[in-house]
Amino acid sequence: MKPFTPLMHSVWIAENDLRQSFKSVRHVVWSLLFPIFMMFTFSFRYGATGPDIQFINFLIPGIVGMTAMFGSINETMSIVWDKSLGVFDRILAAPVSSISIIVGKTMAGAVMGVISAVVLLIIGSTLFGVSFANISAVLLIILLASFSFTGIGTIISGLASEPREAMMLSNLLRFPMMFLGGVFFPIEAMPTPLPYVARAMPLTYATEALRAIQALNTPVVFLDAMVLLAYTVGTILFGSQILMRIMTR
Amino acid sequence: MENEIEVKELTKFYGSLLAVDHVSFEVKNREIFGLLGPNGAGKTTTIRMICGMLRPTGGTAVIAGFDVSQKPQEAKRRIGLVPDISNLFGELSARVNLEFMGKLYGLDRKTRRERIDQVLELFQLRERQNDLVKYYSKGMHRRLTIAAALIHQPEILVMDEPTSGLDAQTARLVREIIIDLNKEGRTILLATHQIDEADKLAQRVGIIDHGRLIKLDTPEQIKNSTEGMHALEIKILNELDQQRWIPIIGKTEGVDKVFLAEGKIRILSKDLSHMIPTVVNLVDKHGGKIENISVAQPTLEDAFINLTGKSIREEPMSKEEDVRRRMARSGLR
Repeated sequence: MKPFTPLMHSVWIAENDLRQSFKSVRHVVWSLLFPIFMMFTFSFRYGATGPDIQFINFLIPGIVGMTAMFGSINETMSIVWDKSLGVFDRILAAPVSSISIIVGKTMAGAVMGVISAVVLLIIGSTLFGVSFANISAVLLIILLASFSFTGIGTIISGLASEPREAMMLSNLLRFPMMFLGGVFFPIEAMPTPLPYVARAMPLTYATEALRAIQALNTPVVFLDAMVLLAYTVGTILFGSQILMRIMTR
Repeated sequence: MENEIEVKELTKFYGSLLAVDHVSFEVKNREIFGLLGPNGAGKTTTIRMICGMLRPTGGTAVIAGFDVSQKPQEAKRRIGLVPDISNLFGELSARVNLEFMGKLYGLDRKTRRERIDQVLELFQLRERQNDLVKYYSKGMHRRLTIAAALIHQPEILVMDEPTSGLDAQTARLVREIIIDLNKEGRTILLATHQIDEADKLAQRVGIIDHGRLIKLDTPEQIKNSTEGMHALEIKILNELDQQRWIPIIGKTEGVDKVFLAEGKIRILSKDLSHMIPTVVNLVDKHGGKIENISVAQPTLEDAFINLTGKSIREEPMSKEEDVRRRMARSGLR
């Protein structure tokens, strides 16, 4: 076996997953329509007749983080669909290691998260003129956030026995994260104990870091990036363990 | 190598449920070996262990000299699996599906292209190669599933219920493909619940029931296990429910087994000369008229029923069998 074969297996598995996701135009449109709708809806605030630019500057980083969350978790749901449709067996029967499969699925989730978030970032910047001082830092935060959401998605897909259960489980996590993760309201404005709950969610750190990049607050960006990294490592390791147990049972 | 597949004492527990119970058999080089059993008998679980997709609780499976538990990648490289469901990527075209499988089996770009063209041609899918697989008919799905299993030109083909759910014409085509592949030199392990299929295709058959291999021999020898037994086929005139006669005839002295086969009542007995008048009188006594009656050669199905005490096609699945089947099929959680 060539030295890079396991990595190439992962790349092909990720490519195959993404190819399927992008093949369905409706799938892509629907998954982006939701954050776009949220962006426009919340851009009007407190009965204002036009978009509130100051609030939009606060909102766009949150929407970008939320889009990464939806993109990544949706993509990892393919694991549970693959299990139920039997296509996972096709990969398991091939000479591919379990680790390559997990890495491939994780890569697909993260790439989908990044692509979705970047599309929203472009729309937000173009339509509302929201700018970020350091685009590389923005991409890094989006990448880290996407990986941590992918880890969460992997855990859900591993625990769920069928797609409906996975969808319910993911909604159970995604919607509280969306409303408590500081996307639409600053967590400081939330009553106790909600800020503590928000601090347990990776989306909080993603949105906080993206806003800190706007405000050129490097220490907060660094700290949030570290938390997201810890989340990424923790969730991916835990998710991998669940998937590994399923694949090698 | 004389044996391409060597299975020794293969055992699988799902929790406390024993799905495969110390199964042992060998599949010789260039042989078609039939694993025959009803749904939920443990065929799919056995196949999943042989293909390295399920870890055995006990026992070993050796593929072309490689122990599946110790050298899974080497073993998998030598097997082409045709699962019982057509598990292809519906959102992708046939060509892209085959391309993906070729990549996973380590084929370089040029070889991939050549092999894909070859199998598309062989399975008459070339014209629809760029259509999404989800729009394929059942028969096309099946052909593409077999094509995908052949993309890396494996020496062993493991097929799980390859003709299940297909119309008669497509099933015949798939069976011809199996024979051709065997003629080309491939070893084939064929799991089926269709007795005819095992009888026509397999050189040797292992009968599996409740996770245990209860008989292993050539179809002819298995049929001979019914030696001294005769088969009598009758059809009751104007009777829509032939099944209701089974318990009536079954109680008659000298009847070893009675079951429905292809709409006729089939009676197995060692004493045919006594049985014919007895059955005729019995039917008459119960107000029926015999439309036709004939003596038949014992078949593999007769042998199966003689060995297991039940018909492979008529037996309703028990709850336990259903659970076992679901677990085995899902393969995952």
